[in-house]
Amino acid sequence: MTEGGLTKKRPGSGSADNPFDSFAGSGPADNPYASVLAENPPEADTLGLYVHVPFCTKRCGYCSFNTAPLEEGAMARYLEALHREIDLLGALPWAARVRLATVFVGGGTPSLLAAEDLAAALDGIRARFDVGADAEITVECNPESVTRQKLEGYRAAGVNRLSLGVQSLDDSILPRLGRLHDARGARAAFEAAREAGCANLSVDLMYGLPGLDLDGWTRAVDTVLDWGPDHLSAYGLTLDAGSLWGAAGIEGLPAEQEQIDQYWRLAHAAAAHGLEHYEISNYARPRFRSRHNQIYWHAAEYLAAGPGACGFLGRVRYANVKATPRYCEALADGALPIASAEQLTPRQRLAERLILGLRTADGVPTAWLEPRLDGERDLRRRIETWRAQALLVDTGDRIRLTEAGFLLSDALFVELL
Amino acid sequence: MVLSRIRNFSIVAHIDHGKSTLADRLLALTGTMDAKKAVDQVLDSMDLERERGITIKAHTVRLMYRARDGQEYTLNLIDTPGHVDFSYEVSRALAACEGAVLIIDAAQGIEAQTLANFYLASDANLAIIPVVNKIDLPAADVEGTRAQITETLELDGGDALAISAKHGTGVPEVLEAIVARIPPPQGDPDASLKALVFDSFYDSYQGVVVYVRLTDGRVRPGTRILLMSNGRSYDVQQVGVFSPDMRPVEELSAGQVGYITASMKRVADAKVGETITETARPTAVPFPGYRDAKPMVFAGLYSIDDTDYEALRDALEKLRLNDPAFTYEPETSLALGYGFRCGFLGMLHMEIVQERLEREFDLSLIVTAPSVQYKVRTTAGEVLDIDNPSKLPTPDRIEQMDEPYVTSSVLVPTEFMTAIYKLAQEKRGEHRSLEYHGKRVHIRFDFPLAEIVVDFYDRLKSISKGYASFDYELSEFRPSDLVKLDILLNGDPVDALSSIVHRDKAYEKGKALVEKLRAVIPRQLFEVAIQAAIGSRVIARETVKAMGKNVTAKCYGGDITRKRKLLERQKEGKKRMKQVGKVEVPQEAFLSVLKS
Ligand SMILES: Nc1nc2c(ncn2[C@@H]2O[C@H](COP(=O)(O)OP(=O)(O)OP(=O)(O)O)[C@@H](O)[C@H]2O)c(=O)[nH]1
Ligand code: SF4
Ligand SMILES: [Mg+2]
Repeated sequence: MTEGGLTKKRPGSGSADNPFDSFAGSGPADNPYASVLAENPPEADTLGLYVHVPFCTKRCGYCSFNTAPLEEGAMARYLEALHREIDLLGALPWAARVRLATVFVGGGTPSLLAAEDLAAALDGIRARFDVGADAEITVECNPESVTRQKLEGYRAAGVNRLSLGVQSLDDSILPRLGRLHDARGARAAFEAAREAGCANLSVDLMYGLPGLDLDGWTRAVDTVLDWGPDHLSAYGLTLDAGSLWGAAGIEGLPAEQEQIDQYWRLAHAAAAHGLEHYEISNYARPRFRSRHNQIYWHAAEYLAAGPGACGFLGRVRYANVKATPRYCEALADGALPIASAEQLTPRQRLAERLILGLRTADGVPTAWLEPRLDGERDLRRRIETWRAQALLVDTGDRIRLTEAGFLLSDALFVELL
Repeated sequence: MVLSRIRNFSIVAHIDHGKSTLADRLLALTGTMDAKKAVDQVLDSMDLERERGITIKAHTVRLMYRARDGQEYTLNLIDTPGHVDFSYEVSRALAACEGAVLIIDAAQGIEAQTLANFYLASDANLAIIPVVNKIDLPAADVEGTRAQITETLELDGGDALAISAKHGTGVPEVLEAIVARIPPPQGDPDASLKALVFDSFYDSYQGVVVYVRLTDGRVRPGTRILLMSNGRSYDVQQVGVFSPDMRPVEELSAGQVGYITASMKRVADAKVGETITETARPTAVPFPGYRDAKPMVFAGLYSIDDTDYEALRDALEKLRLNDPAFTYEPETSLALGYGFRCGFLGMLHMEIVQERLEREFDLSLIVTAPSVQYKVRTTAGEVLDIDNPSKLPTPDRIEQMDEPYVTSSVLVPTEFMTAIYKLAQEKRGEHRSLEYHGKRVHIRFDFPLAEIVVDFYDRLKSISKGYASFDYELSEFRPSDLVKLDILLNGDPVDALSSIVHRDKAYEKGKALVEKLRAVIPRQLFEVAIQAAIGSRVIARETVKAMGKNVTAKCYGGDITRKRKLLERQKEGKKRMKQVGKVEVPQEAFLSVLKS
């Protein structure tokens, strides 16, 4: 899997499946990955930056993200470490020549951050990096933790895009998910964001939820579309291994056909409202695609900050230490808290670019793909088969998945590895 | 060494009655094995034997024992397997002995292989020491077991020793009984060499190591020996004993058990049953010989990855060096490509070979439906041995088909008789005889081998709450009304899924089979039709619906690696599947054919 001996595994370190937390170093000399970022300068001049805020008030049943209940004093320790991390990133030998085109503050629940704390963090980033004047700066928010005032503060801090975690508008489903807001609160949060001047506002919804039928879903979709969001993300529920539901199971999941119907219902309704289905789970008004997420889908480069955050530089994918206390300790010792890094082989790069590219409605350019298929008979044959099955189309200069292909994408992606 | 102070014996019993555990105790008591270093069932040296807690191969070991009469005796012990697949190992072992320790589990009583092994030993005129084991168990019924010994085996149950091999209770008495009740070997050390080969294995350093029992003469390094069946001569390199590891000695002489190496290249060069003598002074009469262990079930073995064909061939060759009971020859399948048709002693043997190939040689395999060997007389008058359904001539070319039958023994408490007869009927069994032994009955049935090789034993155990035991032996071929049952995936017959079944059961079997396949074939991007057919007549059909949705919505926070690893794991899972036409068929599908 690794190339050129980059992934140095410490004896007894974590399994390959869970590269995180394999490093509990006490100083820079101990961490075999400490120099990974310095040694792997980005190929491009513009990067994204993902900042992870690892706290929530309470864990949702389906959630396997790196988050934990916010305890007394934890936020302050985290922020101190984050500032140190940004300083260290900014001191990398190549940092001065790159520009950040996007900053995405995700979580966890970033809207637990007080406006002045967020402002301080963003100021830190701007102090160390050239952040473009037109940079997209997004913060993920949960409805119950925002007020118009707070969002005005965010906006003043430079935030120009908000992503609101609504998930459902059914007051009997929301508490089952472990969410802390109700439908009315979601609506209020949306309005607060608009009133606070947010002109690029995204809403997250989930389908395939326990207890959700097609009618309920249709109502939620229609309501949210009536609000007029600029961007909509809709995730089908998956029972991740690391989640409560993944471990204990959950009853009342809609049948597969019901889930498929929900998927199509949204696809059609979004189209009717002028939203483009530009990625498997994402819809946007023209010119409102998420620039930060497009960095991922184009297999472009981005930096990571915060516990468990993942980055991609040069040919190297890396991840920070996941546990927040250990993340803080590593930074207190003056080291970048990197837990794992892996240099992609050319074949892995090809697979990733295909998998990520085919998640988008743009697909991948034929001119890029063709020469790469030369030595890959199997791959070429597969693509042919999918085309014959109308899971994939060739638009002349690009190939992309059809809506039907989107629905089966994971089954297809396995074949691209 | 004085013959009067040698004892040669085997430990025989039904499966799991405690043979290997008793062997452990005997090794420890005689100081052959340091008790502190000892692991349980130390003679079960193969990883697989240890993991499964069963003996697959007979093991020989020499013990030095100072008896209560003050004399030191040499005891040659052979621990034998209990499973019916390996019963030929027991016969071979007994041929090298004057006595047998017959163990009976005090909680289970006499079971089918107890009987079978008892008959083997008494037919060979061996002294038999009945030993009631596991007397420490709460369910132990020592007196009841003694009564069974008297009734069923017609031995004196009062002579049986009562022991706990696990705790060591009564085990010293076993050693004394061996000395007292088993006669010493006879033979003339000064006559010409006459040694029986009763086992062998291949060692990459020494070549073939043959286990011998000398009846006359002597052998030492340098002796020029002659193998009487094939006339080949070799110079002996080493002679020795197992204690329990191989230990060279200066000489083996009449009455003794040990090993010989003589730079033989193949196990087949010195077959079990072979007589070894001196080239210069051959003995007059060789041993009667021993019939080869014959494979009973046959299955195709294919590597999932076509490029592993050579590796599979090499692995089979290596394995066969030490397991002459298993056979293989190349075959091709339209569905699976190039592979091998292999013959096994039974399903356990098949599982073991498969497991060893996968573990020791790191291969990923598909095993096709096991089949027995049929005799087919064609209209052209030829007689064909058919062990692969896809090789069966078309019905118009078949004059008559014969299938192999076994004679079998079922030993079961009377309360389960009705259930047993019902099962026997379902399996086309024919009742032969019935004997009452107290609360239990000994029923003999004739069965078609094909009906009992796969799941019969499990079924028997489950309908009798574990009390029934079963033993069988191949008997004869009988004419039978058989048809070939084909399986089609999306209209294409898959040769590796064909089976030969009795006409009366074809419909039921076909239906069960397509249902089973529907359950194991995962959903694909398109619909898969599964059909069972006899000739061109479809008798059952099931459908695997096309996959509807397979999408993980989120690539969270740019954690692409996690996503890729998830996909990689799924791909790993797919490696266990074989592409048949366009359809991906998992390994288990092929085995499900007979198990349905
Ligand atoms: N309680 C009790 N368990 C025993 C005794 N002897 C053997 N066992 C257990 O019975 C099981 C089978 O013992 P083995 O010695 O492997 O039996 P075996 O006859 O060699 O079995 P095969 O070689 O597979 O035919 C093991 O779990 C032993 O620990 C005993 O005296 N008392
Ligand atoms: S709010 Fe988001 S990150 Fe927090 S527990 Fe719920 S789903 Fe997970
Ligand atoms: Mg054993």
